[in-house]
Order: sequence, then C-alpha cells, then structure tokens
Amino acid sequence: MAWGDDDDKRPDMDEGEEELDEADYKTQKDAVLFAIDVSPSMLQQPAATESKKADKDSAIAAALKCAYQFMQQRIIAQPKDMMGILLFGTEKSRFRDETGGRSGSGYPHCYLFTHLDVPTAEDVKSLRALVEEGEDPDEVLVPAKEPASMANVLFCANQVFTTNAANFGSRRLFIITDNDSPHGKDKAANSSAAVRAKDLYDLGVVIELFPISHGGQTFDMSKFYDDIVYRDLAAEADSPEGVKTSKSGDGISLLNSLISNINSKQAPKRAYFSNLHFELAPNLTISVKGYLPLHRQQPARTCYVWLGGEQAQLAQSETIKVDSTTRTVDKSEVKKAYKFGGEYIHFKPEEAASLKNFGGKVLRLIGFKPRSLLPMWASVKKSTFIFPSEEQYVGSTRVFSALWQKLLEADKVGIAWFVARENANPVMVAIIPSRAMDDESSETPYLPAGLWLYPLPFADDVRTVDLAMPPRTPDELTDKMRTIVQNLHLPKAMYNPLKYPNPSLQWHYKVLQAMALDEDTPEKLDDATIPKYRQIDKRVGGYLAEWKELLAEKASAVMKSRALKREAEDDQGEGVSKRTKAAPKRADKGQLSNAQLKAALEQDTLKKMTVAELKDVLASKGISAVGKKAELLERLEQWIEETM
Amino acid sequence: MADKEATVYVVDLGESMADCHNGRDESDLDFAMRYVWDKISTTVAAGRKTWTVGVVGLNTEETDNAQDNEGLEGYEHISVLQEIGPMTMSSLRHLRSSIQPSHTHGGDAISAIVVALDMIETFTKKLKYNRKIILVTNGMSPIDDELSEDVANRLNECNVELVVIGVDFDDPDYGFKEEDKSRSKANNEKILRKLVEQCNNGIFGTMQQAVEELAIPRIKPVRPFKAYDGPLTLGDPEKYQSALSIHVERYFKTKRAMAPPASTVVINPERGGASQSQTLDEDTEMGGTEFSGVKHMRSYRVDDPDAPGGKRDVEFEDLAKGYQYGRTVVPFSDSDLSVTKLETTKSFTILGFIPMSSYSKFINMGETGIIVAQKYNEEAELGLSALIHALHEVESYAVARYVQKDGTQPQILLLKPNPGIEDNFECLYDVPLPFAEDVRSYQFPPLDKVLTVTGNVVKEHRLLPSDDLKQAVSDFVDAMDLSGFDSDEEGKAVEYAPIDELYNPVIHRINQAIRDRAVNPDAPIRPPADILLRFSKPPEKLIHKAKSEIDALIDAAEIKKVPAKAQGRRGRKEPVKPLSGLDIDALLGETKRTTISSDNAVPEFKQILATASDDSTIESAVKQMGEIVRKLIHDSFANLNYARAAENLRVMREELIALELPGLYNKYLTGLKKSILSGELDGDRREMWFKHIIAGHLGLISQDESEVSEVTTEEAKAFAT
Repeated sequence: MAWGDDDDKRPDMDEGEEELDEADYKTQKDAVLFAIDVSPSMLQQPAATESKKADKDSAIAAALKCAYQFMQQRIIAQPKDMMGILLFGTEKSRFRDETGGRSGSGYPHCYLFTHLDVPTAEDVKSLRALVEEGEDPDEVLVPAKEPASMANVLFCANQVFTTNAANFGSRRLFIITDNDSPHGKDKAANSSAAVRAKDLYDLGVVIELFPISHGGQTFDMSKFYDDIVYRDLAAEADSPEGVKTSKSGDGISLLNSLISNINSKQAPKRAYFSNLHFELAPNLTISVKGYLPLHRQQPARTCYVWLGGEQAQLAQSETIKVDSTTRTVDKSEVKKAYKFGGEYIHFKPEEAASLKNFGGKVLRLIGFKPRSLLPMWASVKKSTFIFPSEEQYVGSTRVFSALWQKLLEADKVGIAWFVARENANPVMVAIIPSRAMDDESSETPYLPAGLWLYPLPFADDVRTVDLAMPPRTPDELTDKMRTIVQNLHLPKAMYNPLKYPNPSLQWHYKVLQAMALDEDTPEKLDDATIPKYRQIDKRVGGYLAEWKELLAEKASAVMKSRALKREAEDDQGEGVSKRTKAAPKRADKGQLSNAQLKAALEQDTLKKMTVAELKDVLASKGISAVGKKAELLERLEQWIEETM
Repeated sequence: MADKEATVYVVDLGESMADCHNGRDESDLDFAMRYVWDKISTTVAAGRKTWTVGVVGLNTEETDNAQDNEGLEGYEHISVLQEIGPMTMSSLRHLRSSIQPSHTHGGDAISAIVVALDMIETFTKKLKYNRKIILVTNGMSPIDDELSEDVANRLNECNVELVVIGVDFDDPDYGFKEEDKSRSKANNEKILRKLVEQCNNGIFGTMQQAVEELAIPRIKPVRPFKAYDGPLTLGDPEKYQSALSIHVERYFKTKRAMAPPASTVVINPERGGASQSQTLDEDTEMGGTEFSGVKHMRSYRVDDPDAPGGKRDVEFEDLAKGYQYGRTVVPFSDSDLSVTKLETTKSFTILGFIPMSSYSKFINMGETGIIVAQKYNEEAELGLSALIHALHEVESYAVARYVQKDGTQPQILLLKPNPGIEDNFECLYDVPLPFAEDVRSYQFPPLDKVLTVTGNVVKEHRLLPSDDLKQAVSDFVDAMDLSGFDSDEEGKAVEYAPIDELYNPVIHRINQAIRDRAVNPDAPIRPPADILLRFSKPPEKLIHKAKSEIDALIDAAEIKKVPAKAQGRRGRKEPVKPLSGLDIDALLGETKRTTISSDNAVPEFKQILATASDDSTIESAVKQMGEIVRKLIHDSFANLNYARAAENLRVMREELIALELPGLYNKYLTGLKKSILSGELDGDRREMWFKHIIAGHLGLISQDESEVSEVTTEEAKAFAT
C-alpha cells in the first residue's frame, strides 16, 4: 500500500504479474467504441406509471447512462484503456472536426460524440451534461429523416480504430440498437454492411451487440445482425456466449438490464498465460490458459506535472543509469550481483539465469488431498484461474471437465508444482474447483466455473507465533454468543464482494474527479464497508447487553481465582507463573503488560531495565529496538504515553 | 532483532587432515570445511554486525595464542587465525588462505578449546550473548584429558555451548561406525565424547551427518510482529450501549519470504586493484570490490510540438505532483495531496457473519493474520474465547472491516475460528477478501454442457467427458491420493508434502549459490539440491502404484497433440463466417480486390492473401502494403502514425509467416531499415525503428519462427541492433 509514494520500490522479484507472454507483443490495451442508435423509437419516453420500478428512461438515455458509467469505471480500473462514443442515425454528422482531416460529409448521419481515446475530464463532463441534465445544445440527439447506412457506420468505426487504436490488443465495437432490421429487404445495403463487418473482423475488431427490445417484441438476429456478428476471437472454439437482449419488465428497468449486460463485457478478457502444459501424469498432458479474475486494485500513483505552459502537462520521466563517476552506463555493462559480507558477489548473466531455472513453465500435478487437509491459515497470495484450451492438445476440455466434476464431488484438491512463465518462481499450489455461476450451492456466484491455482505458503513463509493460548471449554458465554452469531448473518448469508466497493479507491477518484471537473470536493463518502450499526443494535442489542453482563461477572471471578492462586504460589515461594501480574522477574520483562509499563513509567522505574530487556519489550510492541539505551527509553516512554 | 552471537571455530589442520579416508576422494580437511564454510558463510550472508566469529587452528606449524605467550605449557601448535569479530567478505578471503593442512600433529584439542573459551570470555565479558565453540577434527592427534572436567565446568560457568563434529567418528544414533579404527583415534573420540557429556549444553556428532544435513534448507526465524493492538468491536461502542468491544492483538501468521534482491552493478570505474576500498552507501563500507553500484538519474520531458522531436526537457524544480484522471492531469499542491486519501481511524469491527459453507479459499487475496486476546486481560480472554467457540459450533466465519492504524486503507478480513482442539492454540485466523473493484467479470462457457448457437443444451459432445472418461478420472484421483502416502519414523501413514516440508526453491538455491561463490569464487554453480526439487514431480512410488489407473485414463482421454504447424498454412485456412454462416467472400467474388487502400489496409491485405491463388498476387499485395507503411512513416507528424505503421507491419509479418514466405518480409524490412536510418523518410525516424519495430518484435523472421527462413537467429539479433 504505497500510494502517493513515489519511492515505492519493493524488491519483489515475481511481481511482474501482469506481464504477458513474450510472444504476445501487441500492446495489451483495450479500446471500446460505443455505437448508439439515435432513432425515434430509441428516443421514445416510457409511459408514465405510478409504479416505482417502472422505467423512467428512454432507450437512448439508458444507453448513454451505461456509457457514462462505463467511462467512469474505466478511468478507475483501466486508466490506460480507450473509449469513444459514436452516435448513428443522427441528423447531424461529425467525424474528426478537430484535426481537420476529413469533413463530416464522409460519414453522413454518424456523429462521433466522444473521440476514441483515454477519456479526459472534458469528455466526462460533456457526456454527463447530456446524460444527467439532458443538455443537448448541439442538438445531436435529433434523428435523421432517413436511417444511416450500416455499412457506413461500420466503416466509420473501422477508421476510428485504425487511426486511434492502431495496435491495441483488444478492440471492441459495442452496438446498442433496438432496430433488428435497419435496411429491411434492401439486399445491396445488407450485403455491403456484411462486407464492412468482415473488414472489421479482419482488422481484429470484435463486434458486441446489445439489442434492446420494447414491449415484448423479440429482437430477431436473423434479419440482419447474424451477418454482422462473429464469434469472439479470444473465446474457445464452440463456445458461443450468446447475445443477450435488454428489456424492461420483471421488476428490472431497461437501464439495469442494459448495465448488467454491458458490465459483463467491461473488462477485456486478458490471459495471464496461455498454452501452459498441465501434466496430470507422465504421458498425460493437456493445455490450459490462465487468468487473473481477482486482482487488488490500487489508486494510481502520483505523477509529475509541468505547470509552465497554458495547460497542466504530464512530465514523462526518463532514467539513465550512471556509475559513481556519473558516467552514463551502457546496458551491456550492467551486471547483477548480490551484497554479501560487505561486497558484491557476482554471477555471469547465464549463471544468474540458470539460478532461477527450475525446468521451465509447467503445471505438474503431484497428487490429490481432501480439501480439509489444507490448514485454514495457509494463505499467502491471490489465486489464478485456469480454463482448458484445445489449441495444443485436442481433448483437453473433456479431461479438464471430468477432473473439475470429480474434485467437486469428492471435495478434493490437487497439489501441483507451478511455474507460470519461463523464469517465473516456482510455487506449490492447491488446485481448487469453483462451481458454476448458476449453481445454487456456489460459494462464488460472481466468479466463473473452473479450477483455481491457490498458492500454498512455503515453510519459509510461516511465522511462528509463540503465545500461550490454551483452549478453554465452552460455557454459557459461548451459548449466548451463538445466538448473536446466528442472528447477524450478512445478506444472502454470504460475502459478496460486489456489494463492497473499496472506500479508499472510491474516495480517491471521487476527489480526483471533482478536482478534474473543477467542482467542489465531496464532503463524505457513502462507505458500504461500515457496519450497519443501527441494525446490529436492533437485531442483537438485547443479547449483547446480557452477554456483556455475564462476561464481566465471569471475568472478575477468574481474576479473583488467579489472584488467590498467585498468593498461594508466592507463599510457597515457588517460581512465579508466566501470567502473573505482580512484580515480574527480570527475565520476564519482555512480557510486561501495558498496565505494568504504565505503572513503571509513573514510578520512574523504567530506566532500571537493562538494554536487553528494553529491546525485548520494544520488539514485542512492534517498535524499532535499535539504538542506545536513552533512545530506547525515550521511545518506550513515548509509546506508553500515546497508547495509554 | 536477533540475539548477539559469539562463535569460535576450532579447526584441526594437522597433517593427517590432508589425507583422504573411507573411500572419499576429498581430504578430511576439505570434507570438514564443507561444514565449516557453510556455517561461516551463512553468518556472513546474514550481514549482522552482532554475529561474531573467531577461528582457532589446531595442529598448526606455528604457535600463536595468549596462553602460550604467557608461558603456559601444552598450548603448542595452536594458532588464533582470526580474533572474534564481525565476519565480512575480506575476513573470509583472508581465512581461506590460512586454512591449509600443516605438516605437524602436536596440538592438543582440549587446549585449543581453552584458547577459544578464553577468547570468548574476553570478548563477550558479562554481556548477553549466545556463546558457542565448534570443534572439527579427525581425532588423530593425541589429547590430554587430565583437565577435561575443569574445562567442562568452565564452559558451563560461562554458558558456552560446545559442539564437537568429528570426521568418521562413530555415531550409533545416526548409524555410522568406522571399521578398523585406530586405537588412538578411538581413545580420542572417547575423551571428546566424555567432555561433551559433561557440558550442560553440548553436541557430539559425526561429520557425515553434519554434511548431509547441510542440504536441508535453514529457515530464517522472524520474530512475530504485532500489527494491531486494540479493540475488536461488534456494533459502535460510541453510539450504542449494547456494542461489544474485545481487546485483541493481531500478528502475522504468514508473510511471503523473499529471495535476496540482486543489485545492479558495473565494473568499478575507479578500479585500482582489489585492495582499494570505496564507499557505496553512506554507512556501508564496501571493501576491496571490483564492482560498484549503479545510480539512476532522472530527466523529465514534456510534449512540445515546436521542439525538435516533439519533446523538450523541463527542470525538476518546475514540476508539481499530481494525479491522472483519464487523460487529464490534475496538479495538486503538496498540502492538497492528502485530500485524496481517505481519512480513517484505527479500528477493527465486525460487519456480520457467514456460514462456512458459503466461502471458498480461492477468493483469499493475501497473507494470513492471527488474532489473540490481549495479555493479562481476563475479559478479553473470555470474550474472544466465547466468540471463537461460538463461531466454531455454528460453523460460521465473521467478516470484519480492519484499519491497521489511523490513515491506512480499510481492508475486509474474514475471521476464522481455531478452537485449538488439535494444536492447543486458541485463536482467530484472518485472511483479506476482495472488494468490488478487485473482481473482473470474465465470461467462460460452462464446463458440464455445451450451448449451441441456437441456444440448445447438448450433454454429449467431444468437449464433454463420456461416462468412461469420468470414471477413469475418478479412479485416477482416488489412486493418486497423498493424504496417507508418506510415513513417519514409526511407519505410521502421514500426509505427503505438508507445508512444513515445502521449501522455497528460489530462496535456498540463490543463498546456497552466493555462499558457494563467496567461499570458492572459481567453482561453477551447483545444480539445485534434490530436496528443493522433491515436490516438482509426483513421487515415483505413487506413479508406480497408480499405474493401471493412469494407463486407463490415458486410454479414455484420447488426447491428441496438435502438430506444431497445423495452424494457418496456405490453402488450409477455413473461411471465417459470421453467425449466419454467410459466405462474405462470395459476396466479394465479383469485385475481387487487387488493390489495397491505405484507409482499410489491414482487412484488404488479409482478404487478398486469403484468396490469392498465385505468388505474384501475394508479391503485389506485399509491395502495396510496404508502400503504405513507408508513406505512413514519411507523412507522420512526429510519431503520430508510427503505431499504425507498426500494426500494418505486424499483420504483414504474421501473414507471411503463415504463408511460409518469410523471405518477402525480410527483404522488405531490410530495405525499410536502410530508408529509416538514412533519413530518407522525411527526417529522423529512428524512434519508429527502435521503439516500434525492434521493441515490438517486428525484426527479421528467423529460422526459429519459420523453418524456411534463410535468416539465422544470430543474424536476426545482429540486424536488430
């Protein structure tokens, strides 16, 4: 968590997590162009009703709201990715007026509302004005008298992608329309649209269709769009994902229906690795692809801004390596070495590489265990999701599927040796299955079905926490607490991360957005991670009060019996028990309680402690224990004053 | 922080140590030093000034020790090779030259222990130290045991641990016995064993075992770190009387250990021989090194259309900090910078509870913590204990919001009860959970059914397992069970590969290699120790046991490897069709494309190649595409068109590899390189060459990528510079 910290340089050797296969040299960025149909039916306001759940948005308003939300999410989650908005069927036309290259006449009835690029604050502002305030000073949302030619729309999109996102790894055109037959039976128009769609396919642009249907009509793909839409390039063979139609009804507004359909396409599916060999046994290998559906999102780092010009400008930094005489060092001169005993121990480049080589990238199964054998504390790092691929081994999918089913049924996990990329550090993983999203018993209905590579800690990663915490026998306190636990389940009796946005991240971007758009900074954040205190009080307040009373009673009884026991021990002159409260022996100073420390401070007896004892105490409080006695004392005193 | 240490090694350098015994092809001294060097270099690696080392040579030609200097008898042929002090690379180097077998054998081992003891006493005085003497010898030179009891008493008084490791000493516990042992050696072994037994803290062992155990990785102990000390609440104690607050402490249970970081260095520019020392950091004296660290110098530039190359340098002093909001940069004054940081106060509060059945491990986002009650606080002890047991009994977990200290980002933690039934340690474990933004919704097809284009569900399909395959996998999984596969010392079945046997291969391999190199700079690096690769493959025995299940599975799975070149050869490509299956090429049929327009270059180029029936069509397409690329570069304002030109090149390269015509691309690229570097394409276009073509892996197609290429890997590499 080093945000705002420019000097964050952790020597973490395998944090090249997002690093992609070397072969995959296309810029791994995503560009999405929304193409939104502007027609009388799209602009039609829904009939006013009493019902709260009824639609309040026209189809076009819903589409624009989606785009607006998409844009905001993109700035937070994918700050390097592009987006643009193309309105079609408009009376007005606009293409690239700013650069002055082409005039609008090239693509009649196409209006490029937001240029395809990383959005600016201005883009957010003007889209929001159109969406929220319905401000349309340029009258862009006026449908043309004649419909736009789809061939033209598609070619316009083609040009936008070719010029603005030439070498992006992922380019997607989102078409939002309610018209399943834009050209009716006009064969020539339909054919030329199909040809332009093929161009987009060859260009590497994926068309995602988001059809809208009104009043129970179905959107008939076969009339036109089946000739336009291709299977997702990135998806496996024979896995059509189907086109979902958005509509209102069943208590879901058109807006929500559309948002949920578009959100499922929010992130481009980026593989973390592909064609990894999964060796199930000697002579039995299948191939899998890896993904990171879980990834800790952090606020962006600070950058440097140059204020000398008319507009604030991003300053790009360049680093050069210099030696101790500040001579620029060439890449070929640089060597890797380890500090050792005050000197550098050096390895030749090929030796350094061989030190990290444990036999190439692979996922190799070594056997299976019941899931219950994984200790509950065995967690170090997020998991990687794997899914079969037929590209290298035909039959991978069926074997993978059978393994997935067996692991679910038998409640077992695989144990495997895993090297994600050439020269990546090997880890041991447990292979854990996840249930299908539509399976009612799924623990994770927000994650896909497949297998997860769950990294196991190495012995080196486990800390020994040496505290005496013998178990106690359950009693009335436990019984009463049980009632409390049972009455305070989270909604749907599960933790669904989608309900808990990260407050730090939300706040960061909220403030940033306000600053960027020159607005007042927000007062406070609606933080979903803060417990519903009122509800807790209402639901279990009574039980809690009873429980606390009982606790106080029991605790004082224990305290008394301990005091008695201690006296008895003292009388007998036996060794003082470890948990004693009174006058600890010197060797036990590291175990001093806070109260004892406070007393020692007040009585000014802290300085009687030896340096070794002071260091023990400081270390046990997690405070730096480096320095001279006076410094140690000062630090301890300060800590006591601050803490108590 | 670890305790201070003072260790003195007593090394037998007698002439018999130069001989090889018991079938070994290394001398006793080399054999013994494997152990000693490993120990000493581990100390050097730790880099702690408070871990001190001294070395005493036994049976040296010379005599150099305090006792002898004072005129005491019986201390001949004992030399202090290194006084106690911090161990550095230079002391290690010095030591290496003095560890040589002598031509004498007149030294007394017990006298040498006395010398070592005296060194320790003088050095450590009465301070808190871990004191240790380690004697390595082959026990060939005579020992006078007259004073052994006194020596043992003194060792005990001074709290010194005595470790005696002998070459070919008998050790029934380990199971080693030297045949034909000489009488004198047997006698010496007896004397030394007796001495160790008299010590409160002593170890007596044989070198074979010690050397063997060197391979077992040693784990660096880390003192538990208290991350949180404060209340765990349920409800808001400030607002509601009913709210509950338990004082807890939280420590780390797991924390990823990292391999030592490598530094970037260059040959020391002021190199004046190995003796010259130079300061690298303010406080670290890097003595006698031929390398020096590399520093980074930063310069800052902004876009400026008027400047040559479109960019100009700006002074660091003229820069402010800021954040990016999309493409917009938002400058912040230093005082404003903290506004974007959410204000939080240290707290740990429960949101609610979930049944254990609604959680699966793979959503864990990181390392585990451990939560116990505050010490000497009866209310906290009883309260936390009740919570732990209640959660355990109703099979639930708690979900809590955790702010480690004021101002840090909130985290969501899952609290798991450990009632201590098995491990006698009652606590809560916690793991971090994801937030909404951390989940990316990726779509995947279902694994247990196939959906057709028309939306039908198919249950039998080549992508789905047949019943036979399901059965074979099931049998395989059961046969490969590891839960009782290993056996402990008593032969009881225990779990194979438990976590405490999983060592991080990278950490231990690198540390081992560094130590080896420090001791012996010229030796090649050793392959990884077997113990580090133990779990890199299934155990032989298990594979043998499950052989019939594995064979049955291989039969049922019918996996076929796709031949390396099956994809995309000329003529084999299936025409791509939209969902409807419409043949677009047929639509194009009449007006077959032969020319490529710059606007729509990529699709048109691909379409011409897909239908090309002769090489001249392909050559023409490549020529046209080549011209388009040159024009894009030529007409580019600064670097505006570079990405597009590179994309066109990439498509050209990819298609020509698929068509097995790498020569066309290589010829074109050679010409392009010349044009770019000679400035033919309207000025300085080197950025196009280096940042887009070379860095974008668009260089010559070598034989690695296409067998029919005439360009070797080396040629392609040379071309790219």
